[in-house]
Amino acid sequence: MSRLFPVNFPPFRLVLVAAVAVCASANSAFAAEAGTQTLGFVIRDWFTSVYNSKFLDECPEGLATSNDELWWRGLSKEARAKATNNGLLQQLTRMPVAMRRGPNGENVCLNPTSVVDPPMRVIEGKYSFGANLDGESEGDATAKSCAHDNFVHPDGTPGVDNQLYRLVGCVYGWRKGGLPDLNAHEGRGTSGLGMTLIEITGVTDPRNSDNVTITFYRSVDQFAFDGTGKPLPYSSYNIDMENGQPRYSDTLKGAIKDGVLTTERGDVRLPFYGNYHFMHPVIKDMGLRMEISPDGATASGQITGYYNMDAFLHYVGGMVGHTSTADDCPAMYVAAHELADGYPDPETGQCTHLSSAFDVKAYAAFVIHPDKQTASADQR
Amino acid sequence: MRKSIFHMIAAVAAAISLSACDGPREPEATGGPPAMRRLSNDQYRNIIADVFGPQITVAGQADSLKRSEGMLAVGAQTAEITPSGFEKFYGMAKSIAAQVVSESNRAVTFPCEPKDAVGADDACARTFFAGAGRLLYRRPLAQDELTLAVETARRAAESSGDFYRGVAVSLANMLVAPQFLFITDEVEPDPAAAGLVRLTGFAKAARLSFFLWNTTPDDALLRAAESGDLHTQKGVSAQVERMMASHRLEAGVRAFFEDFLHFEQFETLEKDTIIYPAFTVKVVEDSKEQLLRTVVSLLLDRKQDYREIFTTRDTFVTGSLARVYRVPTSRPSGEAWVPYRFPDNDPRAGIITQIGFAAVASHPGRSSPTLRGRAIRENLLCQKVPDPPGDVDFSLFESADALKKTARERLTIHRTAPACAGCHKITDPIGLGLENLDGLGQLRTTENEAVIDPSGDLDGVEFSNAADLGKALHDNPAATSCVVGRLASYALGRSSNEERNYVQYLEESFASDGYRFPDLMRRIATGDALFAVTPAPTQLVSAQSSTPEMERSP
Amino acid sequence: MSFLIPRKTSRRSVLRAMFNGGAVTLALPFLDAMLDGNGTALADTGKPLPVRFGTWYWGMGHTPGHAIKEKAQTAAGIEFLEETKALKPFADQLNFFSGFNMPLDGRSNYTHFTGWVGSRTGAVPQKEGEIAAPTLDLLIADQIGPNTRFRTIDASSVGISRENYSARSTESRAQAEISPVGLYNRLFGPEFVDPNADTFTPDPNIMLEKSVLSAFTEQSRGYIKTLGAADKQRMDQYFTSIRQLENQMALLLQKPEPNEACIRPERPNMEDAERSAQGREMPNVIETHEIMANLMAMAVACNQTRVFNMVFTDNFANVRKKGETYTHHLLTHSELIDPNLGYQPLAFWFNERCSEAFATFLGALAGIKEGAGTLLDNCLVFASSETAYAKLHTVDGIPIYLAGKAGGRMKTGVHVVGGGDPITRVGFTAMKIMDVPIRGWGAKSLQTSKPLTEIMV
Repeated sequence: MSRLFPVNFPPFRLVLVAAVAVCASANSAFAAEAGTQTLGFVIRDWFTSVYNSKFLDECPEGLATSNDELWWRGLSKEARAKATNNGLLQQLTRMPVAMRRGPNGENVCLNPTSVVDPPMRVIEGKYSFGANLDGESEGDATAKSCAHDNFVHPDGTPGVDNQLYRLVGCVYGWRKGGLPDLNAHEGRGTSGLGMTLIEITGVTDPRNSDNVTITFYRSVDQFAFDGTGKPLPYSSYNIDMENGQPRYSDTLKGAIKDGVLTTERGDVRLPFYGNYHFMHPVIKDMGLRMEISPDGATASGQITGYYNMDAFLHYVGGMVGHTSTADDCPAMYVAAHELADGYPDPETGQCTHLSSAFDVKAYAAFVIHPDKQTASADQR
Repeated sequence: MRKSIFHMIAAVAAAISLSACDGPREPEATGGPPAMRRLSNDQYRNIIADVFGPQITVAGQADSLKRSEGMLAVGAQTAEITPSGFEKFYGMAKSIAAQVVSESNRAVTFPCEPKDAVGADDACARTFFAGAGRLLYRRPLAQDELTLAVETARRAAESSGDFYRGVAVSLANMLVAPQFLFITDEVEPDPAAAGLVRLTGFAKAARLSFFLWNTTPDDALLRAAESGDLHTQKGVSAQVERMMASHRLEAGVRAFFEDFLHFEQFETLEKDTIIYPAFTVKVVEDSKEQLLRTVVSLLLDRKQDYREIFTTRDTFVTGSLARVYRVPTSRPSGEAWVPYRFPDNDPRAGIITQIGFAAVASHPGRSSPTLRGRAIRENLLCQKVPDPPGDVDFSLFESADALKKTARERLTIHRTAPACAGCHKITDPIGLGLENLDGLGQLRTTENEAVIDPSGDLDGVEFSNAADLGKALHDNPAATSCVVGRLASYALGRSSNEERNYVQYLEESFASDGYRFPDLMRRIATGDALFAVTPAPTQLVSAQSSTPEMERSP
Repeated sequence: MSFLIPRKTSRRSVLRAMFNGGAVTLALPFLDAMLDGNGTALADTGKPLPVRFGTWYWGMGHTPGHAIKEKAQTAAGIEFLEETKALKPFADQLNFFSGFNMPLDGRSNYTHFTGWVGSRTGAVPQKEGEIAAPTLDLLIADQIGPNTRFRTIDASSVGISRENYSARSTESRAQAEISPVGLYNRLFGPEFVDPNADTFTPDPNIMLEKSVLSAFTEQSRGYIKTLGAADKQRMDQYFTSIRQLENQMALLLQKPEPNEACIRPERPNMEDAERSAQGREMPNVIETHEIMANLMAMAVACNQTRVFNMVFTDNFANVRKKGETYTHHLLTHSELIDPNLGYQPLAFWFNERCSEAFATFLGALAGIKEGAGTLLDNCLVFASSETAYAKLHTVDGIPIYLAGKAGGRMKTGVHVVGGGDPITRVGFTAMKIMDVPIRGWGAKSLQTSKPLTEIMV
């Protein structure tokens, strides 16, 4: 019935975790444990970090050939007549048809080895965003990397490893503003799937803390947006739990200096959802660097690390909409194997991971650790 | 819901304290002239829901009442029904009547079935109108009222070939009748005092039910009126105890606080969403409910000291509110309410730091120490703040420049220019105590990068921030005398300003009852003043002549 | 009233048919109502078109020196400056009044309130919120309004229903319609009778409702006893309100004369209604106003009402530009005067929009052809604000316009200079033009019996 709370006003345990942000200087009300605070964020933006020059210098031959082009080239006169209904049909429904160009009608994105396509155009430019993952700047192999050309960061830093960019940078759909990332972004926003929470504990000062722990969780609550479609900061998000434990909870050590959080590197399993795919790849040697806005409400930066090649190829291969993306799966499959630069297979020596960088933007959030004992919502 | 042992002990203790202690004694009641109060929108809705069931939708709103002497409940006794206002009532009535007789609702709205649904059935119609009419008119229908309702229903049923349509036609007209729309103090000769009058039992029943439940008297109360019980102290006490034990008491408490806290201001509450992206329509709705939940939980469920509404750290939030307060919640989406306690060192405590207060007394894009200070003075302390003079020289403000970053700096002129200072020195210093809350009520420590100083003093009591200001209000005697006076006005339906002795008695009782709000309601409900009535004035109330001089028609 | 006779028979036969003779006892009351002269027929072709009266309100007045070029004395020709340039196309269809004062007789200037109350009621309030006398539109409505479906139509594009500048008294202030869809439904909803429809069948439901309402009302009179004088007056108001609804119903039972100007407008879509409810940002208000202006103009053309009141922005100008922390009102007090421009630029921006909106409103009336001219030619629109200079709350010199030709009864294109005369002379003149039988108007220093004959034909 309707009365609210009878006698014992239940203590509210959620104060365990709290964003600090604007309130930080006002009070230490949100202290988690003696002398420290906890910051929370939810990642909203996750975009493959690509360097696009003004005149396409990084792709001197032009963009990569698309699957459609190869499909059309491969059609006989009769097949073209059939596909166009003897020229009556100008709007070709190419997408499903164009993919089925394997020798036995296989979908070449799901079976990328069923045909051999001309080599794919990849990035030949000098610059890329990203980080030096293997500690090596000359392009030589190391214990955990295969030989590969290194990039220079646009800020001049040498030794940047970003073979994922090299792979997809000349593909129309993967350039800035391209469909796969945007569609995935939109899908995450509306579905609330694949949402990553970042919890930073051990914060002594939100702008400068030497020794903090960063934990990555998955949220089960959706984004709360403002009228313009931006997430509202300081919303609460419950952690995805499984058998009483968080389903995702890998941690990294790090520090905040002048509002910039930088983590050490470590393997982190993150939830991912995009283009109707769920994935939870472990990003090896993952590092996060992000700048927290002075008011603490937002943070943006980059996640770098080795991305599992098979997971990526599987993601691309299963996507629909290759017409707009202009992927050519068989050529990308070959190129990915040539470009993979991380974690060689001990037996074959074939590298299994692609160095990668992702631009992220996060919003201050309360990361809620659900506790069944205190779940006390009044449902009136 | 389980009743806690605490509840019971408290109730017993309260009963003992009332009966056993001498305490303050109610002065002889002055009474007011019989009055005629227009139903408020909420009362109208409550009645329809109580008489016909909550499944009936009341589409539309009647004209709102006008606040008088601080309360809409007082304005009800002078409210008129304009042509467009009547049209609204008529539209609502027709829609309600159609729903009441609709096939899907008949099972709960009709006590009988017509012999033949395609024609008239006087007997069934009579049963229906006798039952519903008694609840709507708050007394049994007179013979000719019942006859008209039944005959009209018959004729309409005959012409339309539909029994239910006939009933709807009569019912719609009852719902716009003055007997329904105006709660009228009917009087009868007082057998105990020759030449004087008293309220009829039914008028007393209406007083009690609108005061305690904000709705029409239920069957038991009407029976008590019929039997004459309401003319005895014992009978009144029994009804009051029954009513106070009912869950409907919460509706009564909510209705009072909606009036007391000026909830009509929420209708025009608006914020700029570029400046305050977290502001949504849901925030408006939830912030109203938050105030009420806070108050009901504190005063009714936990039976705490009224003054704690200014200091309590316990409240309830939805996800939308949590985002504005920037506090965590386990239920960030949906409608769920979750209790939340502001930490001890948070500057937010008490209702004045809630969105429902801080954002309402602000501008769409900025906070307003003046509006907030005025709201505290006028609404919570019942102190009149004069209106600004018409000839303010605003050129004084033109010296306000970009160097003045905080409201305190900008408002210095208010408190120093002689023309302004008189009033602003009673509003701004307390309003500045809430400056840690921006125009939406979000916590902030700086404005334009300058640190905000929220300290000040309330009538000589210094405070350091908003929570501290709440403590000063808690201890300010005006805060309790204000709510007592307003509750008395609310119950009596007229300003209690003239009844100083009575209000003083209530104030003393309130203090001796430990400032328990339900006890204060009980004092009023069982006291003599609630029913006291003087004979109607026979003289014409001389209104200012407002009609123009008319020419003789040719 | 002999012209009613043929219809009398036809209506009676309609009723007979409808009730099969069996309900004669029930039918008679409506017949009485239908024939008692409540419903004067609309103007037949060749009869003069009715003159209608409207008010238009905007908050915050004009920017002195930048709105209308000052004149030393009354003369033809109004010089529209930057703020009012939108009104130039109507230069010969309106009069502008400047230099009319509002002596307060020692009373306070209740800011943004006294100004409109004084200019529209002739009585300066003695206390905050007091409206001691009826506003002029209602006095005019009493004269010309009873024979239409609605005595007045009140709408506001600023979304605050209680801020309507038409009231009979403090207690009796009609609330304005704030939703375009709500306004449409009220005017052109199912109960609207299209005068140009081929057939007309009186709605038996309305007949029934009207007779029942009358019967219940009669009975109720006996049940309201022991009332003091003030309450008796409130009951009178209540019964008057019912009478008006009965009149509306009676009109719905008559076939209206065909009316070429009347075309039932399209229903505004829900989005517009939502928008109006959403916020008082100037673009929304402007859009809502335009929709309402067109609906209102058509309602007048369709003879649904002869008196209309439109509020563009309220007396506290609760309108904003998105992202601005100050409302128009707050800007008038807080914004610095730009020394180069000589005015407050942001506040001025709002003022300009107000003049544009007035032009939109006049345009809506002028856009409907009626007889040889336009609907505006047969209207008298009293447009006013509550301050002369909002920054200082000045009530002397409040700007007023009288627009339309009032069916040829008013000369236009004149800038009328008051020279400190009471502002009530303008309202009084409007009432005289509308044939309200009064000798004088206004209380204390606002009392006047001198109409401005220079604009009267």
